[in-house]
Amino acid sequence: MNYSELTLRYFETAVGAGVLAGPDVHRGAAGSRARGTWVQFDVQVASGDIRAARFLAFGCPHTIAVSAWVAEHAAGRGADRALPQSVQELSDRFEVPAEKRGRLLIIEDAWVAALAAALQR
Amino acid sequence: MNRPVYLDHAATTPIDPRVAAAMAQCLGMQGEFGNPASDHEFGHAAAALVEQARARVAASVGAAPREVIWTSGATEANNLAIFGIARHYREYGRHIVTARTEHKAVLDPCRELERHGWRVTYLAPDGGGVVHADQVAAALRPDTVLVSIMHVNNEIGVIQDIAAIGAVCARHGGARLHVDAAQSAGKIAVDFAALGADLMSLSAHKAYGPKGVGALLLAQRGGGAGTQLTALQFGGGQERGLRAGTVPTHQVVGMGLAFELARAAAPEAAGIASLRERLWQGLASLGGTLRNGDAARSVPHILNVSFEGVEGESLLAALRGRLAVSTGSACSSALQEPSYVLRALGRDEVLSESSLRFGLGRFTSEADIDAAVASVTEAVLRLRRIAGA
Repeated sequence: MNYSELTLRYFETAVGAGVLAGPDVHRGAAGSRARGTWVQFDVQVASGDIRAARFLAFGCPHTIAVSAWVAEHAAGRGADRALPQSVQELSDRFEVPAEKRGRLLIIEDAWVAALAAALQR
Repeated sequence: MNRPVYLDHAATTPIDPRVAAAMAQCLGMQGEFGNPASDHEFGHAAAALVEQARARVAASVGAAPREVIWTSGATEANNLAIFGIARHYREYGRHIVTARTEHKAVLDPCRELERHGWRVTYLAPDGGGVVHADQVAAALRPDTVLVSIMHVNNEIGVIQDIAAIGAVCARHGGARLHVDAAQSAGKIAVDFAALGADLMSLSAHKAYGPKGVGALLLAQRGGGAGTQLTALQFGGGQERGLRAGTVPTHQVVGMGLAFELARAAAPEAAGIASLRERLWQGLASLGGTLRNGDAARSVPHILNVSFEGVEGESLLAALRGRLAVSTGSACSSALQEPSYVLRALGRDEVLSESSLRFGLGRFTSEADIDAAVASVTEAVLRLRRIAGA
């Protein structure tokens, strides 16, 4: 399997891997380890803005790289439910093979779940 | 730039320098470049080398020279054996017995025959990867013409009891036994006659010989005609009409010498087994590691391990630049699908996908093993941390 330079960079550094703690932290997850892909996001939201985000991911290098990128680029954005970029844009940015694009939907589901938890508060 | 540690000798081996030198002698104007079928001095000289190589290969695996048919590799040998037997004996029956854990070069020809009306029984191995002779006996039918069981599994390294299976086939009378010995010949002692196999596939490049050459052994024991085969390709009558095409002198010379050197190097197996155990002990200390295949029945050069809490593709990617290993068999690694061999052993999908096959070789050192343990440990711990495992 060949990976883009960007994918390898985010896979290898995995910036933002981990969890957050605190009263203003909200968590969402999607996917299944048993089925090969699982992603969790923690978002810290204050005054309607995302202050910080962390992720955990069990999956292929594209899954880890995109999750890391999403967590890194979320800080400072408004806490709406959208990813920092659309699934199509992320797919293009990371040159995700067509057969793997379903994994980006799992990332999106985890992100949406985390933001939904924040918006319910 | 440092090259990664190479622990993928079950996929292929480097050519032994002595083999490369012998091959080079057959290529240039001053060497034995002639067509071995030509009736002049150049052809005669090449033919003599081809026959010397045939004798070397035969001697290394307990066969007679006349039983060696050159092919382009073990895949072609498997195809020639399976289709050749099926076509030759189709009036006697159209049933084949094989195992779920065979190489694709056996399974795919069987599936192709199924599409043309043959029936195939796929035996399930036990949890250690062993196919038992009594399973074969139970699967045999009056119309069984072929049993194809590999000697050593290419993913988990488990050695099958071919002699016992051969005895079962002999009692049946009509079932010929084909053995894919690509992972055993040149690595462990192989005796074609003693194992009771009727056909055996060999590969050169798994045993420090060149890619692109192999052989099919076709038993010619006793006073009769021996096992019969229908040829699959035509156009020159080489190899007694069973495999047409100019015999590549340099390739078969390389295979002959590689197999002869492998016999001389037999004592190295104990050293390789010691390195394999050093590797396993190092990996086992990680925790959450599962050794695949019956360790008591495995060849020295293969270790297959599943790692809990990591995803297979990421594990392989994390090792890039540091360690060259395989997930599943090399032929199917690009597919990134769970190993069908490990699935047949009862491993779940995730553990089947998170396995690495380590293939040790003649040139593997303790330093290589220690570096491999360090690389895998770092990668697994990092991926487990990312996964929250």
